[in-house]
Amino acid sequence: MNNNNEFMRIDRRSFLAGVSKLLGVSALSSILPSIVAASEVKDTLRIAIAKPAGDINPHKYTGLWGVQDLVFEPLVKYGHDGKIEPGLATEWSVEDGGRLLKLTLRKGVTFHDGTPFDAAAVEWNLKRWIGLEANNWMNSSRLYAGTDIVDDDHVNVRFKEPVLGLLQEFAYVRPVRLLSPKSVSGDGSYKAPVGTGPWHQATAGNEGSAFERFDAYWGDKPSFKYLEVKVLPDSRGRMAALRAGDVDLIGGAFVSPLTATEAETLKGAGIDVVIDPGTTTMIMAFNTSRVEALRDPKVRKAINLGIDRAAISQVLYRGLATSTGNLFSETVPYSGKRFDVPRRDTETAKSLLEEAGWVGGPVRQKDGKDLAIELVVSEEQVPGSRSVAEVIQSELQEIGVTLTIRSVDHASRHSDIPERKFDLAFFQTFGAPYEPFGTVVGLFLSTYDNGVDGKLFIDPEHLDPLVLAAMSAPEGEMEAALQKVYDWLHDNDAIAPLLFVPGIWAHAARVKGFQSPATEYDMPYENITLAE
Amino acid sequence: MQPVRPLLKAIGAFPRSAVFTIGAFVLLGLLAPYIAPHDPNAQDLLIAGQGPTLAHPFGVDHLGRDTLSRLIVAARTSLVGVCLVLVCAHAIGIAIGTIAGYRRGWTDELLMRIVDVGQAIPSLIVSLAVIGIAGVSYWNMILALALAWWPGSARISRAVAVNTMNKPHMEALRVLGASPVRIYFVHLLPTTIGAVLVYATADAGAVALAIATLSFLGLGIQPPTPEWGQMLVDALPYLESDPRQVILPGLTLTLAVIGFNILGEAVALNRVPKPLTSRMLAARRRVTAFWAKEARP
Repeated sequence: MNNNNEFMRIDRRSFLAGVSKLLGVSALSSILPSIVAASEVKDTLRIAIAKPAGDINPHKYTGLWGVQDLVFEPLVKYGHDGKIEPGLATEWSVEDGGRLLKLTLRKGVTFHDGTPFDAAAVEWNLKRWIGLEANNWMNSSRLYAGTDIVDDDHVNVRFKEPVLGLLQEFAYVRPVRLLSPKSVSGDGSYKAPVGTGPWHQATAGNEGSAFERFDAYWGDKPSFKYLEVKVLPDSRGRMAALRAGDVDLIGGAFVSPLTATEAETLKGAGIDVVIDPGTTTMIMAFNTSRVEALRDPKVRKAINLGIDRAAISQVLYRGLATSTGNLFSETVPYSGKRFDVPRRDTETAKSLLEEAGWVGGPVRQKDGKDLAIELVVSEEQVPGSRSVAEVIQSELQEIGVTLTIRSVDHASRHSDIPERKFDLAFFQTFGAPYEPFGTVVGLFLSTYDNGVDGKLFIDPEHLDPLVLAAMSAPEGEMEAALQKVYDWLHDNDAIAPLLFVPGIWAHAARVKGFQSPATEYDMPYENITLAE
Repeated sequence: MQPVRPLLKAIGAFPRSAVFTIGAFVLLGLLAPYIAPHDPNAQDLLIAGQGPTLAHPFGVDHLGRDTLSRLIVAARTSLVGVCLVLVCAHAIGIAIGTIAGYRRGWTDELLMRIVDVGQAIPSLIVSLAVIGIAGVSYWNMILALALAWWPGSARISRAVAVNTMNKPHMEALRVLGASPVRIYFVHLLPTTIGAVLVYATADAGAVALAIATLSFLGLGIQPPTPEWGQMLVDALPYLESDPRQVILPGLTLTLAVIGFNILGEAVALNRVPKPLTSRMLAARRRVTAFWAKEARP
């Protein structure tokens, strides 16, 4: 009994010793994995994404562009300022007046699964998308005639008619990038993301995806071994994660959007922020089929003159956005000559409205009807657009136009805008590499169905012929034909371009050599090195 | 002055904190256009985001609008919204509850199962669905919240109605041959409304919060009308660089909700029957004596 007591006796000293041992063991066990993890983090670039990458099948439209870009490569790349650069094809030529694309393929390239990249692989990939009805929005697919394999390294692609923007289309992220022919299951359906890119996918899920460097990559291999994309849906959460060192890179329109205000906050906290002028334009559209008043170009011009673009870019975009009167920024190929940025001029605006027959006040009237217009805003579609709308609302009130703001969610925007259930609405151009024809054809040609995007301006009688002329113009006359479209839009005040949306990225101090991507659809991992 | 005194006495019985906050809230709401120092929607982008100055004691928001004026005018927006929602929700709720409580039987079963379904779905989801179908506008928001709020009110009014219907005087009325219309409108409805209104005040805070939530999501009150929830969401991007813009509307909303909740609780406590005083006892005796006299041939 006594002995037993001796054995069980717990005095203060043994208690403290025991507890400290326990603490030591538990602390060690919690530190050990993090030591292992720390060595891995050292070699990992962690990028925040706003939503899961999804199905990144390159021939479908479901995945996140930036993540598809990590794994899959195009035949030709879209470089900064719209220059077409070699990708998996080293040389190319467009012959037969634009009906024949001759490609010389890069030698010594293999897919992640070891399948060699050759002419057969190119033909196999083309068959998965080109000429299919779902891809009719692409000229190359709609006008596709056939593919001829010359030898292992040479492929010719034939078209029925000259293809507008052919090389640009071949630089898109989807559906044109190349998948390993051996990676699919027996019936040819997509199984796994196996491309030729510098990264191959290790894991993927709703929390994020992990990638490992593909060591047999043909080009410049990344200097770090791992790349991780982490899903952080809330922008404040992303900012906090960046500052806490949980992610290294945030930003980009489609990766993890940052607003100008957020960029300023981060800058103030000593984080590196990179601003790119951007290739996207924010435009206000007039729906002339719904509102009688907007059919009068004078009313449209008055509204155009009633908006203080400089104040909007200065206050709401913290001076990071450039206000504009043009459809495209200069970084877009064939962007046309520069128009003057409309300056706010309430007197001219008022007299234009008087001329158009809208008189009286505080709200102008014509035939007993108020000059009341509705502006549809989707904060999810164009972040920060609600504040812009409020500014425009207050500015137009001064010239006697009543503006009501209708906020809609993403889904309603995607149904209301194509159905033309709006008076005024904000649009964004598609940006590189889709420009200029993505926008000119997609948003202006009334006969062209562009799905959920809707139309910026419709005028089958005057505008459509100009767009069609630009589409069918030979290479040498294309610029002049496009300029006619731009001039018509400008002279008729058919649209109200507001500003060029800046590309904003922010990165941790350990990320060195960061460069904005050539298009918002690419992931900017190139050139990055990770400091200790 | 005679009728004012009992009212003042009743108000005096409430917790002072609630009386002050709600009093200030109602006063601001009623007199908003006269008190607000500036036009709440007048923008001045040149001074956007400026802190407190003499002209703008609470500073201005991200579009250069006077924060104090917006807070004051928003009190009215919230007050009107809350009242409308409560009136609509309780009108539906009391009607259904009293009908169920009066009729009992299968009507009661049917109506209460509908109420069960209504209560099983969270009110925010109901409102989002209604707004999703009807579209975003002020009146749709009121409708959506009323449709989300009525089941609670129906449940309570049914309980009160059942309770009332079981009282001896109701039985007496039936025996005396009072018509159902008379029983329902003269005796049942007023009693129920009185009891349910108590719960309405307790709900006011929650409704104010729901309006702010919907506006926060961009589905409620549309710009430029100032609203606390809307002001909060507008200020969120500046949370770090200028917390004042977030704190002011947040604090106001918190105060109003707490005020309503304290008030509701106090009213509910006051409704708990007190032991009979000798005066009330005497009054009851007089009434019974009067009945006895009347019953005599």
